Amino acid sequence: MEASKKSGGHREMLESMYSVIALVFILVACVELCDAATAVDVYRLIQYDMSGSPFGSRFAALNHHAASLHFPPGADLSRTVLIIPLRELNITFIRDYINQKKPLGGLLFLLPEVFSFENGGNKQIHEKEKMKNLLAQLEQLLINANIPYPVYFAFENDEIDTVLAAIKRNDLIGQPATATTGGYKLVISTPEPKKVASPTITNIQGWLSGLKADGEANQLPTIAIVASYDTFGAAPALSVGSDSNGSGVVALLEVARLFSLLYSNPKTRGRYNLLFGLTSGGPYNYNGTQKWLRSFDQRLHESIDYAICLNSIGSWDNELWIHVSKPPENAYIKQIFYGFSNVAEELDLKVGMKHKKINISNPRVAWEHEQFSRLRVTAATLSEFSVAPELLEGTGGLFDNRQFVNETAIIRGVKLVAESLARHIYGHQGKNVQIFADDSSLAVNPAYVQSWLDLLSRTPRVAPFLSKNDPFVMALKKELADHTDEVKMQHEILEGIFTFYDSTSARLNIYQVASVTFDLLLLLVLGSYLIVLFSFLVITTRGLDDLISLFRRPPSRKVKTA
Amino acid sequence: MTVFHFFNCAILTFGPHAVYYSATPLSEYDTLGTSVKAALVYLGTALVKLVCLATFLNVSENDGFDPYQELLKALIGFIDVAGLYFALTQLTHRNISQNHKFQAVGLGWAFADSVLHRLAPLWVGARGLEFTWDYILQGLEANANLVLSISLAALGSLMWLRKNKPKTLIPIIYACAGIVATMPSITSYLRRGLGWHFPKVVGFELFTSLVMAFISWQLFSACQRPSA
Repeated sequence: MEASKKSGGHREMLESMYSVIALVFILVACVELCDAATAVDVYRLIQYDMSGSPFGSRFAALNHHAASLHFPPGADLSRTVLIIPLRELNITFIRDYINQKKPLGGLLFLLPEVFSFENGGNKQIHEKEKMKNLLAQLEQLLINANIPYPVYFAFENDEIDTVLAAIKRNDLIGQPATATTGGYKLVISTPEPKKVASPTITNIQGWLSGLKADGEANQLPTIAIVASYDTFGAAPALSVGSDSNGSGVVALLEVARLFSLLYSNPKTRGRYNLLFGLTSGGPYNYNGTQKWLRSFDQRLHESIDYAICLNSIGSWDNELWIHVSKPPENAYIKQIFYGFSNVAEELDLKVGMKHKKINISNPRVAWEHEQFSRLRVTAATLSEFSVAPELLEGTGGLFDNRQFVNETAIIRGVKLVAESLARHIYGHQGKNVQIFADDSSLAVNPAYVQSWLDLLSRTPRVAPFLSKNDPFVMALKKELADHTDEVKMQHEILEGIFTFYDSTSARLNIYQVASVTFDLLLLLVLGSYLIVLFSFLVITTRGLDDLISLFRRPPSRKVKTA
Repeated sequence: MTVFHFFNCAILTFGPHAVYYSATPLSEYDTLGTSVKAALVYLGTALVKLVCLATFLNVSENDGFDPYQELLKALIGFIDVAGLYFALTQLTHRNISQNHKFQAVGLGWAFADSVLHRLAPLWVGARGLEFTWDYILQGLEANANLVLSISLAALGSLMWLRKNKPKTLIPIIYACAGIVATMPSITSYLRRGLGWHFPKVVGFELFTSLVMAFISWQLFSACQRPSA
């Protein structure tokens, strides 16, 4: 009995020892984690190779002192990080720095808090247009440059503002931070960025069957409505692309919902099939669309009457553009255009047509409909842009967030597309019939549009960083499945000239460091303090003679023998 | 902030103890054993105090000053005095004069206190990149604590080891001992009740430690005269 008690006691002691050791480890680890005065989420500039040439910021880890734009002229910044709030940004300065390849430890851009999709949802932005232009210019500059140091974006908050104010004060008195003068140190410890192996692009298609009369052997004609859902921007962790192309995705989903209502009743089901396509790989010359089209079989190809591609219909006032590649004199194109412009007149908006010839030998695909046209399918793109954006431009950058999109514009766009399609399907061209009237059961649902737009504005969607089973892609699939008969997902590898690197966001620790000279001074002071203490104690307890005798050499032997 | 700073703060916190030992006649009479025994007694006292605090005290969420809890803490603080009594009277010391005994016990006591309370935060915190003044202030506090411990040991040896004391001085001795013993409660009241910042509290501690040291020195030399 006693022996077992003893062994039980031993075991308990061992267990309590283990828990104490574990506690000590946890304590040590905890202190490591919350060591810095300030810790901020930062988002890295994209790093990619295009046809082998490197672009973007090539490094991720950071361990340098901080300086503001008020640094003393002529200072050596090769081991310094410049913190630049957007308000003080001078594009020419950055451009010079990058183009002349001046050495710099790193760049940290501070974006106003209203741009953050987590916090600044409802605040107004002052000087909207100016900021938008500035950000667009900055983005284009950074994306097309090869920058050999880390570049990060962060949102302003109170902590960073106080730190920046302190750094500015130090800089103005001419004391840039180095190892010997103290200041602030920015540390980001992430592993070196690696290539994203086999980035996948996922196309989602939804099929809504039309009403086939009994005994009809032929395939019903099909109308395709397509929108690309992925984005590309300077900071991939911030590329939510509310307008490009979140607005297109939202419009497509709403149109799908409306037509699924119509098609659910056999009496109102049209004699056209509807094919909804959410494609990926948009910024990369609509690579995904091309692969999607190549996967169609011949019968489907031939049955497509025409395709409408939606691209950025979220921030327009009164005018939309229809872009085509077939000449405007083409009968089909004329039909599509008249259909749209009739509805547009009723909705009190203007629709213009732009024709851009495609050059098969040029790999650049500016609009999504060009991929259809290359396979001889009639297609057009509806967009608020009158001119085609350049490669990697207008694909959902830093400024393209919820603030700059207007759901009223999207709702009007949905009405336009839905009415035009319906009139074509049900043969009411030219007639003033409002199928999706505002108070009917088929009205466009503003809440639906708003909630999907909000979701899209919170989800960064750069294709190489979206895995196959990403929850957002699954959500799109489920939503499309709710509105259509049959949904298919197609996973492809993003080939071509682009290679991407990971590490898109990190945590920045800002430490306030004292300089080495401070510690040296402290050592001197402490040394003298201890010496004074020593002398004081010797004098008071043993007498002054003892203190002096400590320093006097012992009497030499010569004196003794003498 | 870096190992250099840790080294500096360690010197500030533990240096004075070593300097005290080597500067005064303590080193000549080899009283290291006494100091070590006193340190061990402090360890035991700290454990007993821990158990009592854990049993009787309830932790409040806010950082305010709760008189009842502070009273309880002060009562438990008297266990310190009991420990000191044990170290002064019950431990067998080699033949060292009373003068040196209380110094050695006070030194060992203060050193153990510094190590237990300040070494771990120093090791963990002062080596990081972030710079704060806290560790320097903590070192100054350790210095004040050294002086206070030695004064308390002096007063303790007066109270318990010296038999013939001038009658008039006895109440003063006990009063001073009481003040020094309740020093932790006083500083905690200042920090929480009055909301003083750390530098101010450390300044107060340094000042009072010097004052108490002076008073106890005077008392000690006053009591020394009759027997001398």
